[in-house]
Amino acid sequence: MSQTHQISNAINRRAFLNRSGLSLGSAALTSLLSRGAASADPAHEIETGYQGLPGLPHFAPKAKRVIFLCMAGGPSHLETFDYKPKLDELDGKAMPDSFTKGQPIAQLQGQALKVQGHMTKFKRYGQSGQLISDFLPHTAKLADDICIVRSMVTEQINHDPAHTFMNTGTILSGRPSMGSWINYGLGCETEELPGFVVLTSVGGRNPQPIASRQWSAGFLPSRFQGVEFNSAGDPVHYVSNPEGVTASQQRQLVDSIQQLDRHRNTSLRDPEIDTRIAAYEMAFRMQSSVPDLVDVSDEPQHVLDMYGATPGDGSYASNCLLARRLAERGTRFIQLYHRGWDHHGELERYMGICCNLTDQPTWALVQDLKQRGMLDDTLVIWGGEFGRTPMFQGKGGPGRDHHIKGFSMWMAGGGIKPGITYGATDELGYNAVDDVVHVRDLHATMLQLTGIDHLRFSVQHQGLDSRLTGVEEARSIGGILA
Amino acid sequence: MSRLIPTFVLGLFSALLPCSLAAKEIEFNRDIRPILSQNCFACHGPDAHERKAKLRLDTEAGSRDALTPGEPSESEMIARILSTDPEERMPPPKHGKNVKPEEAELLSEWIAQGATYSAPWAYVAPVKHPAPDLTDSWPSNWVDKFILARIREEGLSPSPDADPVTIVRRLHFDLTGLPPTPETVAEFTKNPDMANYERLVDQLLASDHFGERMAIYWLDLVRFADTVGYHGDQDHNITPYRDYVIDAFNDNLPFDRFTREQLAGDLLENPTIDQKVATGYNRLLQTSHEGGVQPKEYMAIYAADRIRNLSGVWMGGTLGCAQCHDHKFDPYTARDFYSMSAFFADIDEEQHFKVGTNALPTKRPPEIDVLSRRDRELLAELESRGADRAEIDAVKARTRRTMITMAKEPRSTRILPRGNWLDESGELVAPAIPEFLGELELAGSGRATRLDLADWLTDPQDGAGGLTARVFVNRLWYLFFGEGISSSLGDFGGQGTPPTHPELLDRLSVEFYESGWDIKHLIKLLVMSHSYRQTSIPSAELMQRDPGNRLFARQSRYRLPAELIRDNALSIGGLLNLDYGGPSAKPAQPAGYYRHLNFPTRTYQQDKGSSQYRRGVYVHWQRQFLHPMLKAMDAPSREECTARRPRSNTPTAAIVLLNDPTFIEAAESFAQRIRSEAGDSDAERLEWAFQAAVSRKPDPQEREILGRLVAENQPDPWKAVARALLNLSETNTRN
Repeated sequence: MSQTHQISNAINRRAFLNRSGLSLGSAALTSLLSRGAASADPAHEIETGYQGLPGLPHFAPKAKRVIFLCMAGGPSHLETFDYKPKLDELDGKAMPDSFTKGQPIAQLQGQALKVQGHMTKFKRYGQSGQLISDFLPHTAKLADDICIVRSMVTEQINHDPAHTFMNTGTILSGRPSMGSWINYGLGCETEELPGFVVLTSVGGRNPQPIASRQWSAGFLPSRFQGVEFNSAGDPVHYVSNPEGVTASQQRQLVDSIQQLDRHRNTSLRDPEIDTRIAAYEMAFRMQSSVPDLVDVSDEPQHVLDMYGATPGDGSYASNCLLARRLAERGTRFIQLYHRGWDHHGELERYMGICCNLTDQPTWALVQDLKQRGMLDDTLVIWGGEFGRTPMFQGKGGPGRDHHIKGFSMWMAGGGIKPGITYGATDELGYNAVDDVVHVRDLHATMLQLTGIDHLRFSVQHQGLDSRLTGVEEARSIGGILA
Repeated sequence: MSRLIPTFVLGLFSALLPCSLAAKEIEFNRDIRPILSQNCFACHGPDAHERKAKLRLDTEAGSRDALTPGEPSESEMIARILSTDPEERMPPPKHGKNVKPEEAELLSEWIAQGATYSAPWAYVAPVKHPAPDLTDSWPSNWVDKFILARIREEGLSPSPDADPVTIVRRLHFDLTGLPPTPETVAEFTKNPDMANYERLVDQLLASDHFGERMAIYWLDLVRFADTVGYHGDQDHNITPYRDYVIDAFNDNLPFDRFTREQLAGDLLENPTIDQKVATGYNRLLQTSHEGGVQPKEYMAIYAADRIRNLSGVWMGGTLGCAQCHDHKFDPYTARDFYSMSAFFADIDEEQHFKVGTNALPTKRPPEIDVLSRRDRELLAELESRGADRAEIDAVKARTRRTMITMAKEPRSTRILPRGNWLDESGELVAPAIPEFLGELELAGSGRATRLDLADWLTDPQDGAGGLTARVFVNRLWYLFFGEGISSSLGDFGGQGTPPTHPELLDRLSVEFYESGWDIKHLIKLLVMSHSYRQTSIPSAELMQRDPGNRLFARQSRYRLPAELIRDNALSIGGLLNLDYGGPSAKPAQPAGYYRHLNFPTRTYQQDKGSSQYRRGVYVHWQRQFLHPMLKAMDAPSREECTARRPRSNTPTAAIVLLNDPTFIEAAESFAQRIRSEAGDSDAERLEWAFQAAVSRKPDPQEREILGRLVAENQPDPWKAVARALLNLSETNTRN
């Protein structure tokens, strides 16, 4: 490539950047051509990854990465972290009208509402004495590591829009999810793995559908969208070579494609072709780095045992282990979905199943990160898209309906004050009343911890400065920051 | 307003805004409105509820509270913008906005010149401007005169013509979405004169594939998909609507009729089957079949969805922003939003709350069973000549179900305060167009209907026809030049980018409706222009001066849209199935890709036989899990109106082209063709293969690179060569 050619491409790229923030992703892939890759073979040297927006982070980040453990379906706060003696007292009695009048309601529409007492016991754990239910004996061991937020509220009462709201801050389709926002803002520390990875597992009640919209990049460049890892077949779609093609043949092929593209570009001077050549290089590298990631044969047995993971079983336990491996390799945002938490009926039984599948691995993940000194700069978040009603629902045994006016989540690690309970619901666990935390506040806090001022982090879309935290007031929750 | 800007302002322009290109005089809409809109309107704009200090800057009268025409130094606006006191400064620092020094200079100059306003450009009726009077021989038609005049104004020249191979490929991809056959390339390149070019244009416009190509874009706009979108993402019955769209483009159905049939075909007198099928448009929105949805909440969500789409597709507007509050930048009020949604309050949409099931497809009555138009014609012919029962039954067996619109007693429509469906305190509203655009003139005294709305949208004299034409014409320009005349394909409001060639856009809009909304006529006008035929390779000067190609002093080069990448590879491989219309096709897809779907759980049934190789426009569109190949190449989920697809360039896309089984099969089949159709020597085969992929011969270096690949992959190198060729930038790019 001649020097003039390089210069003119650089100019073009800059102009491209100026034209629209949205072109950034594509252009940025090539804009760092000189940041010497660690490849031994200079012929395969390409620019290394996107380093985030200029000017970001706004301040020193407390967390370098986020692991979001999403209990899809909406775990009951009243059987996990929110103990209300009054609920047991009123068990079976009519739910006082003062709570429910004029409130949105899901499957219990038009039914007589009665109070459902706790379906488990709570105890205090750790030096902090946090109240945690008997369903979560392993999480209980983390009492002094986690910050329980008991005053969450959201705006959407059905699963699909509630997930969309939790992930994007709005229910409109086509908006970026939080993992995409953070990668767009900060880039990621790996070039050979995606910066935003989604892992899912099932077990419990009828699995929640999860739309790929939940990890969509929306109006941000496509490269910031979440990549879903599969537990069976190719860990990432098409990452294996086609049948009968060896790695060296694939290398030759990619070389030929790159050479031909490069040759053509001597007459076209098109920066998109440079980007494309780089993309093929990264694609080829992903073909080996992804299998390396998911091959856990280098993990000692005691680690597998700690998680309760059987390699390749696609369980939540295996996903927790992969989450740690991704975190170690520089993935910025890791989201796990366990899809079994929609307990309209037989709540006790299904809570048993879900907790049995998730409690120990969740503990193991936090524990493992801690042992490796990574919890300090990893933000771990646990919770569902909403909580469950204090009222009884009886779809085959006592259960609870969707509930959005008060529910619990917990956070741990990078920048979070450990061993505290923040906020509270009323005496029946219906409305969050003290230190209410809206989903937007959760987003603002997450951004704050990763070094981003949510007010100054926007992209113009349809004329508006669109933010993850939207246009309504959002605040970072000072009371839970270390 | 024709005063010249003093040179200091000009200097700022050419130094700082190389791609907006030097402006000669201050034009409110082009130069001032964007600054005010971006920095001031959120608090001092159309939204009365949020307005601060009772000051509005979106109207000339309102602005007089903050400025004195002719006296920038005595104008509060300028003082506040320049203030260093954070308490005084505007916009307030906490808003994170900042008027740049050069913008402040422009505002000062504008005030000095009298601070005149112009109405928002998009809502002023287009004018049939005469083409600039040029003696130059370059223009092929009047379109070129507008383009050339602007290029000359910048002291630049148009680019040379593209070579004939590029031209013939460009035209094929643009008009049919398919590569040219080698014979067509050979024939055209032998004699690439204008007569042959025009013949080719006419031939392609008359091809069935023209409708398929155009439908891809329309289906993005109207968010056509095979599934409901929310929660269980069940299939629904709608493919006959897709075929209606393809037929409509092929028949060159005038755009005003196309509009009426989709929005209100059921309200036409004795609607035909096609007109009923067309009303499937009103049913394309996302619906939820989740247990526990409150119908009232979802009816509000659906109403908003319809307005977002209607305003996006026809009005290039973001009326959806007015669901919770008056629009921040445009004169749309929340009342307008709800009045517009009242037009659709008669659509029977609630049935699925009762009868919708978790079966595939789910039920979303009203639905009817129809044959495609071609099958209806075929059936009539078979019946008239007394064909076999079996033959007749075979056609009838292709009957498909499709959702249509049926009117019922309209639901009442209230203004929902802050968009809150639980709040019933808002006023009841009747169907009405946005107030600032006037009032519907109804023949009777009754309630305005969807048909009235459609008529208004396509009435250039008394309705919004000028706007509708502008929006559509601008999008056609984007399809054939790679960028719109206004780059804001979906936002013609104050926050959108004004057109670079406003007179041309106006003239094209007038041409469009004066021609009887003739889409093929307009497209022919564009592709016959000299501007269209330029090379896409920029000169060094153009790259420097106009990297964004806002002058159209060259053509654009971009990766093909997702569906065309697929069609092209299958075509080169000799596998492409060119059947017209019908049920959606299911090509190979990774196992377990639908594992996140439930209600019901489902296993993807890949099509057997040739239907898996159908064109991309027919591929099953699963909103929640779009086929990974389409997704990797930026096809949208079609949850919302998409006027512009991103053109990304990612490792994921590279992996798809390298390893997706459809592309491997295409490569294997291509290799088979190389072995059987080309000569016997490696050199002959290589040349034949290269030509089959990109319609030209390889140069020596390309021969050498591919020669190495051949040598490395003996004894049978052709699959590797085929894969390399299918992966080339050139193969997958519209040049």
